[in-house]
Parts: sequence; C-alpha cells; structure tokens
Amino acid sequence: MRAASRLLVIAATAAVIAWLPLQLSDYNRMQGASVAVYFIAILGLDILTGYAGQISIGNGAFMAIGGYTTAILTVHHGWTDVTTIPLAALAGFACGVVVGLPALRLSGAYLALLTFAVALAVPQIALNYSGFTGGNQGLPLPAHSGLWLYAVSWAASAILLVLAWLVLRGRTGRAFRAVRDSEIAAAASGVSLSIHKALAFGISAAYAAVAGSLLVLVNSFINPQMFGLTLSLYILIGAAVGGLGSLWGVLVGAIFVQLLPSGLQSTQVFHAAESVPVIFGVFLVVVMLVFPGGATQVLRIAGGVTRRVTRRRAAPEV
Amino acid sequence: MTKRVSVVAALGVLGSLLVFASVGAAAGHAKHARHAKTPGVTKKTVVIGGTFPLTGPAQLYGVIPKAENAYYQWVNAHGGVNGRKIVFKYLDDQYNPAMTVPLTHKLVQQDHIFADVNSLGTAPNIAIRPYLNKQKVPQVLVATGDSYWGAQYKKYPWTIGFQPDYPGEAKIYGKWIHAHMPNAKIAVLRQDDSYGQNYYDGLRAGLGSSKSNIVDVETYPATQTDVSAQVAKLAQSGATIFALFAIPQQTIDALVVATKIGWKPTTFINNVSASPVFMSLAVKSGANVDGDISTTYLLDVVDQPNSSSAKLYKKILARYDKGANPLDLNNAYGVAVGWTFVQALKAAGKNPTRAGLMKALTHIKRWKNPFLYPGIHLHTTPKDRFMIQQQKLVRWRNQHFVPFAKLFNHAK
Repeated sequence: MRAASRLLVIAATAAVIAWLPLQLSDYNRMQGASVAVYFIAILGLDILTGYAGQISIGNGAFMAIGGYTTAILTVHHGWTDVTTIPLAALAGFACGVVVGLPALRLSGAYLALLTFAVALAVPQIALNYSGFTGGNQGLPLPAHSGLWLYAVSWAASAILLVLAWLVLRGRTGRAFRAVRDSEIAAAASGVSLSIHKALAFGISAAYAAVAGSLLVLVNSFINPQMFGLTLSLYILIGAAVGGLGSLWGVLVGAIFVQLLPSGLQSTQVFHAAESVPVIFGVFLVVVMLVFPGGATQVLRIAGGVTRRVTRRRAAPEV
Repeated sequence: MTKRVSVVAALGVLGSLLVFASVGAAAGHAKHARHAKTPGVTKKTVVIGGTFPLTGPAQLYGVIPKAENAYYQWVNAHGGVNGRKIVFKYLDDQYNPAMTVPLTHKLVQQDHIFADVNSLGTAPNIAIRPYLNKQKVPQVLVATGDSYWGAQYKKYPWTIGFQPDYPGEAKIYGKWIHAHMPNAKIAVLRQDDSYGQNYYDGLRAGLGSSKSNIVDVETYPATQTDVSAQVAKLAQSGATIFALFAIPQQTIDALVVATKIGWKPTTFINNVSASPVFMSLAVKSGANVDGDISTTYLLDVVDQPNSSSAKLYKKILARYDKGANPLDLNNAYGVAVGWTFVQALKAAGKNPTRAGLMKALTHIKRWKNPFLYPGIHLHTTPKDRFMIQQQKLVRWRNQHFVPFAKLFNHAK
C-alpha cells in the first residue's frame, strides 16, 4: 500500500513536470530548465553530504569543469553540444575523485575549507587560460529554444535521479550511510573508507558537472563569473532548505534557489541584485531554527498528519 | 517494494517523462508558428529594452539609460512616433555577461521587446549576439565601440553599433603621437578582453613605425577595480606617454595612482572613460589631469552652452531625468542615442517591422544629430555600418576639455 502510494506521488510529480512546459511561455520554460540545473547540482551535493556525510562548499567548481568541457568542445572542436554532457560527467567524476582523496585525512571544517579553496581556484584557472576559455569575456554558444532546454534538462534530471536512487538503495548507499554515521564502525564492518569517500566525491562532482554543462546550454554562454563562490553557496543553501538526505527535498531546494531570486526581481520589491543573498541568508537562518530538517521535515510532518487522519477514518471498518 | 517493481516503476516514470516532453515539443512548435505580428509594437506603444551596468564595476555608465529614457519621454510627451509611445525597459546586468544573457532572454521572451537598444559593454553584447541574431531581434546602437559591430555584419546582420569604433579612436592617438612625439616611450594599461585589445590594435596601427616605442603593456580584468600594481610597474618603464584603455572606475584609479607615485607622463584616455565627471572625480581623489588628452564626438555644453541643442539637452534632462549632471557626457551620449533610435523608428515607416528598423539603420544618409559635435554626421550603407567615424581631439585645461587639432576621420 505504501509503495503504491509512493509510486503514485512520483508518477504525479513526473506528470506535472512533463505537462508544465505546455502551459508556460518560452521564457518560463527556460526558468524551468534552470530549476532542473539546480535540481541536478543539489542532488549531487545531497549524495555527498546527505548520504555520505562529507561536506563540500566547492561543487560550483565541478560545475565549472562540466561547463567548460561542454563549451570548449562545442566552440573550439565543433561537437554537438548535447553529446558533450557524458564527457562532462566523466571529467567531473575524475576531478571529484582527486579532490576526494584528501578527504581521507580531513574532516569537518578542514574538509570544508579544502573544497572552499577549490571553489575559489577553479574560476581563476579559467581566467588565466583565457586564450582557451575566453577569459572574462567568455564564450558564446549556439542558442536553443526554452522547450528544447526544458526537455533536455529534465530528461537528464530523470535519468540522474533514477541512477542516484539505484546507487543509494543498494550496497553502495548502505556503505555511504555507514561512513556518515560512524567511520570507525563502518571500517570495522569491512567498508573501505578510502574507496567510498572518493567514490562519493566522484559521483557528486559528476552530477555537478552535468549541471554545469546544462547551465551553459541554458545560458548559451560561459564565463568564470558564472561559477563564483555564490553558486557553490546557492547549491548548499538549496540542499539545506530542501533537507539533506532526502531526494524529495532536492526538488524543493532547486525550486527555491532558482525561483526566489527571479521572483524577487519581477515583483520589483528588491531592485538590486545584491538583495538576493540577504534574503537567502535570512531564510536559511529561519529554516535552520524552525525546521532544521528543511522541507523534508515539513513534508514528513504533513505526511504524518494525513496518515493519522486516514488511519482514524479507516479504523471502524477493521 | 520489491526490487523488480521499483526498477519497472523508475523506468516507467522516465519513459512517460520523455514521451510528454516530445509531445510538448511538437505542440510548442505549432504554437510558435502562429506568431506573425511584430513583437513589441501595438497601436499605442513600441516596447524596447536593453541591459546596463546600473550597479557593479562599470556603474558610472549607469546614467546612460536614464538620459536616453528622458529623451523618449520627451518624444512621448510630444506625440510619440507615429502616435506610438516608446516604452524603454532597461535592466541591470552589472557589466557581467553571465547576467546579460538571462536578462536578455527575459526581455525578448517575457517582455516581447521590438528591439534590444543600446545594451552596454563589449563582452555583454558579444554574449547575447548569437541569441538575438538567431531570434532575428535587432541588436541596435550597442553601447560599445568595438569594431565587430561594424565589421561582422555578414554573420550577424541584426547587430549594429553607434559610436566611433575603438580601433579608429586609438588610431587617432597613435597618429598624433607619431606626428608630435615620435621618440617618446609609451606605456599602455588595457582591459584584458577584446575591449582592451581593440584599442591596443588601433594604437599600434596609428603609431606606424613608432610602435616600437611601446615599452610596457599591463592588463587588468574588468572585475578588478584596483590597478595600482599595474600602474606602478608602468611608471618604472620610464615611459613619458601613458595610454589608458580602461573603463571609468579603473581609469580614475590609474590617474590617481600615477599622480601619487610621481609619474608625470602625457596621458591619453579613451573617450568612454573621459567624461568630465570622471575627470573631476579623479581630481577630487588627488589626481593631476591637466593636459590629459582624449577625443569627443558629442555635443559641447561647455564652450557653446547657448546653442539650441545644448539648451534642449539641458531642458530634457531637467524635466525627465532629475538630478542628472549635463556636464557628464554620458548623459549627452544617452540623449544622442535616443535621438538616433527615434529617427530610425520614424524612417521604418508607419507600421515598423524589425527588418524595417534594420533597413533604416543601414541606410542613413548623413543625418545631422543635434546632440553630436558640430560637423559630425551619422552615415551608413548596408556594407558600411560604422555609423560615426569622425572625432575631435580634446585636452583637459582648467576643469574642462578643450578641443584642438582638426576633425579626424577614421576611414582616412
């Protein structure tokens, strides 16, 4: 019964996502595609932080890796842009594993600082090799319609969601959670810390790279400023607001991070783009104080209430 | 949930999503095909848009769209163009092309603008050029003087510039240096993108055989406002000519730093950073800018304050852009662009189309824009899209720029 209702919710969500573009303007389809970009990025961070317990403030840097893979192959080597996405994922995976290796010796704030350094360094590297990356001036890419972008980015989201779910429900997912909950206990039970930490970083970075690739397709443009520290922080905020360790929360987090800033702009309440981080910060503090589990906690409370109500109604029949 | 059920469920979800998406694609295309009317044009209004650095490292240019809008409001108050009022939507992209792109998507797809008018910055305009040309949205009177806008019209027919091109301007400096200071050592500070590169190329072309006198070239990224390290290095090169190809904030910083470390070269400042207001800001911060050289092509409000153009310009600003400083040539620039767009819209006829606007802008026959320096004309043909090609050299004396030498023409 529970599995069936869960399936129903998933199918309904998928249906809504598929039906939405029919109702939206082309601009809003692009917004929808941007939600998918954040969805994938936050999903990647959730695997790393929520499931494997490793902190990263640097996933924006992995997005840059993916973005530049796509941009450079498309602009300089004549690839069709979509076909570069798997390669971007591979490049991201490799970089993630490399960053994940020190995670064996570092933990907590020190690991966070390491990823922070990565987040700061990668855009500078892109700036340094401007002949290759276009520097600050960036590289323009061919433009796509909002519908095309929506379809491609949500199809990618669906594939990556299923993959994440398959990985997390099995042996690897169990090992991730074991590492998160107690490294000593995990090692004692035969879970290899080195392999699983590096793997978690690799998977997370691969997801970020795909998100970066799609971000570049949506924007039809790339420059290092797109991958600044704020991007990494937005992903982290999205994960926190959605609730770590839950695949449902990811969707809520993505919608929050993408639509709040553009919503603020279109309501004309806050003119300056600078106000967005302030609003985000305030929101984050409130969420952490009231619902430390993020949107997932809210959903769970709501789910618990409905379940109790339905159970009470069903009781006399038993 | 058993393993098999869940896998089937997952694949089912994925499949249905893809089917829905493709159905959506087909429906969307059908919807798109029905669009035939000119976007942004109704019986009563013409909606245009643009992106500008209202905040961020280039925010000193933020006055331009306001002055331009003041001109549109003045035209609207006098009946508009063929009975239509001009609605100008300008958004803040902070001079960051990564922000320009989504904002332009918004202007085109959400606000349905007729044309993207006067969007500011080389990098931002390069970033949106493929998109606007693919959508066949006119990208006109772009607020950047790179040579691309005039030179690459075959690939990007929907794009056209306005102001004198940067290489042409720098060529004037080069020629003048070659003629008057042929043996002076030259130091260059330029932005690290094609904005800076364009000037540098023009300077070398103008210098001719004197280009071997360039002893040092330093660059900075647009996001960095402190250029003291670069200026200190240039000062040590022993150069007596300082060619400064930067955006305003960095220009002011460079002028101040040069004075503070005791470097006294003959300084050439590119036109877009040499508004009298920027010069005064530099002076206030301790820079000695007497004798600094630049160019102008805009209305002269200092030497000829009582010309009919200057009076009209001040009246428009006073009424529709309160607090704007008439001495800031960026305001004159905004009004001059506004005048040009209005003329082009008139020339595009009673029922303007996007193609009609492009045709008007590529068939300009020596229009006399009242907000330009006397004697300068706008002129284009479909194959010569450099709209303004004349400039006057100016030198800073007693708190304002004084014209000197003849009226230069880039093409010659």
